Amino acid sequence: MLRLIRSLVERARRERQQGGHRQDGEDRVRTDGGTVDPAVGSRSRGERAAATVRTATEGEFLRSAVFWLPPLLLTGLFVYGAIGWNVVISLTDWNGLGDPEYASFDVEMYARMLSDATFLAAARNTVALLVAFTVVTLLLGLFLAILVDRGIRFEGVFRTVYLLPMSLSFVVTAIFWAWVYNFENGLLNELFRAVGANFLVQGWISDPQFKLAAVVFALVWQFSGYAMVVYLAGLQSIPTDQFEAARVDGAGTVKLYLRVIIPQLRASTTSAAVVLMVFALKAFDFLFVLFGTNLGKSVDILAVMMYREAFGSGNWAYGSAIATVLFLMALSVIGPYLYYQYRRGDL
Amino acid sequence: MSSLTLDHVTKIYDDDGEDVVAVDDVSLEIRDGEFLVLVGPSGCGKSTTLRMVAGLESVTSGEIRLGETAIDDRKPQDRNIAMVFQSYALYPHMTVRENMRFGLEESTDLGDDGIDDRVEDSAGLLGITELLERRPEELSGGQQQRVALGRAIVRDPEVFLMDEPLSNLDAKLRSQMRTELQRLQEDLDVTTMYVTHDQTEAMTMGDRIAILDGGRLQQVGTPLECYHEPANQFVAGFIGEPSMNFFPVERDGDVLRGDGFDYPLPPEVVDRIAAGAGDDLTLSVRPEAIAVADGPGERRFETTVDVVEPMGDENNVYLQFPGIDGTFVAVVDGYERVERGDTVTVEFPADRIHLFDRATGEAVLDRSLTRETAETETGRTI
Repeated sequence: MLRLIRSLVERARRERQQGGHRQDGEDRVRTDGGTVDPAVGSRSRGERAAATVRTATEGEFLRSAVFWLPPLLLTGLFVYGAIGWNVVISLTDWNGLGDPEYASFDVEMYARMLSDATFLAAARNTVALLVAFTVVTLLLGLFLAILVDRGIRFEGVFRTVYLLPMSLSFVVTAIFWAWVYNFENGLLNELFRAVGANFLVQGWISDPQFKLAAVVFALVWQFSGYAMVVYLAGLQSIPTDQFEAARVDGAGTVKLYLRVIIPQLRASTTSAAVVLMVFALKAFDFLFVLFGTNLGKSVDILAVMMYREAFGSGNWAYGSAIATVLFLMALSVIGPYLYYQYRRGDL
Repeated sequence: MSSLTLDHVTKIYDDDGEDVVAVDDVSLEIRDGEFLVLVGPSGCGKSTTLRMVAGLESVTSGEIRLGETAIDDRKPQDRNIAMVFQSYALYPHMTVRENMRFGLEESTDLGDDGIDDRVEDSAGLLGITELLERRPEELSGGQQQRVALGRAIVRDPEVFLMDEPLSNLDAKLRSQMRTELQRLQEDLDVTTMYVTHDQTEAMTMGDRIAILDGGRLQQVGTPLECYHEPANQFVAGFIGEPSMNFFPVERDGDVLRGDGFDYPLPPEVVDRIAAGAGDDLTLSVRPEAIAVADGPGERRFETTVDVVEPMGDENNVYLQFPGIDGTFVAVVDGYERVERGDTVTVEFPADRIHLFDRATGEAVLDRSLTRETAETETGRTI
């Protein structure tokens, strides 16, 4: 960040010098093939100063500063600054009340993770949630998008219906699912009882066996509409000719989608997957509302564990270390995506 | 190989409760191995007709037969036809080889080796062997066009359908591909239905051409039939470049009275006018039939030159009758010096005029065509 600013300032300074301080009497070749007017070099000092001011205000770099400087400072301080500070804290031994000591730094907190069964379970759950949630959501979203794209009646209504859960707050949906999953009188179990399938009546969010799956299912419900919209946009940008050519070529509906259409949705898949994975990493609010901070080993994820360690137990440094791990995980999802975009020239 | 028959085929679209007739009772037979060009202005129903044959549009009424078998209720994949799209519709995520293999993999039981052989053969035929491992995005427009053709040829179908396949190419490449496509079709001898809006393509490529307007079939015939004996005023105006000249006239016995000129009809022409023809007629003469005359005479008119379009060996000259607003075109020799504002005497030769009924547009008089004139005309204009 600092280097970027420095290089920008450096460039602005160079531009200013080239505009105002040509003092050697020789003709300089300009890029447009002409020569620089030697009179520029013999201008009086006052004129030169005026020219300096003029080029400085006319330079694109400074004139555009109004637009980029405030957001740069704000994100620099509150995002990157906070991340940096968090990393610094994770290297201390800060816990309980009192101030952190910045005297000695070590990686003790990171070493502690490796032997912490809770951390390992939370990390495993986080990855499992990430993978299962992303894959199922993408598949379901794709399936819905294909159905909606086949020119059905009330297409707009279905699109809205599927997307609607996305617009609800996680707090709302978490409470809603807590009711659905309730053992005594939840909708799901009542449904099973009504049809006489009593063996299916389970403690969906109390039995460690089903907890994670129940959470994934609820999140899939909420996010498949988003995946559908992304895929729908992708599907609708594929020319009708492609469908028709494949049909004339002899492909049936399934082959048509598998071999011709879905491979062309790679960009949609990538962008939807990145958004979903990053969300899965920070699925904090949903779990927090559903279970509180002690959610049990079977569904504990890093985001909640971080909160518990830091704000529950006052293990600030340990919490920061977990936060750093989460940050790195998110980066490992976003990084390749940004690189891929950069390679394609989209950035 | 077999013939393709369209039997009273009609297509009606439902546009918000209103019926829109896109194709109106078209009957057409494309013989085995024949190259038929379906031509007409945009919106005339030619693409809809082609898509009905492909199975991409349903047929409202009528029947489409391939040989003796009705195919109009079969799915596109069960019709054994191949189509070349205007946009080429190559699969962007597949290489040229995979593009060409796709149809064979989906529609035949050929093994891998068999498919490979067929792909290599077709690629060799089209000269695209060195492109096989590339993706469509790496190819030029002309190369993509070849691949699209290759994808159709490799299937060895009963019928080729081509939907304006050359319209995305530049003019030079287009005329080159026109010849090549024609030669290819002759070699392969596959029944072909070719849709275009370009009358030059129709004239030069088709064994026969079918002209559509407003969903109705106007005329089916060889290019020369359509050129020399257009069934109606629409065909006359559509075929030929520059377009035929039309003058509204009243028939007064042996004289046609037009706006700014009187045209006496010689007795042998009067005899050939269809019986029962009315007196409200359209006198029509092709620009290339109008001759520059060196002095006054019968059927010669003094005109003023409005615009000259030099074409090299020929000039398209836009002429005006004195005091009349509209212009008409004549094609004159490129060595003749004509300039804007000149006064030129032109002749409409009596054996080269057509007459159409002004109300119905039907032809009531074709130009007279002897064997010799047909041959010289062929040499000169086609």
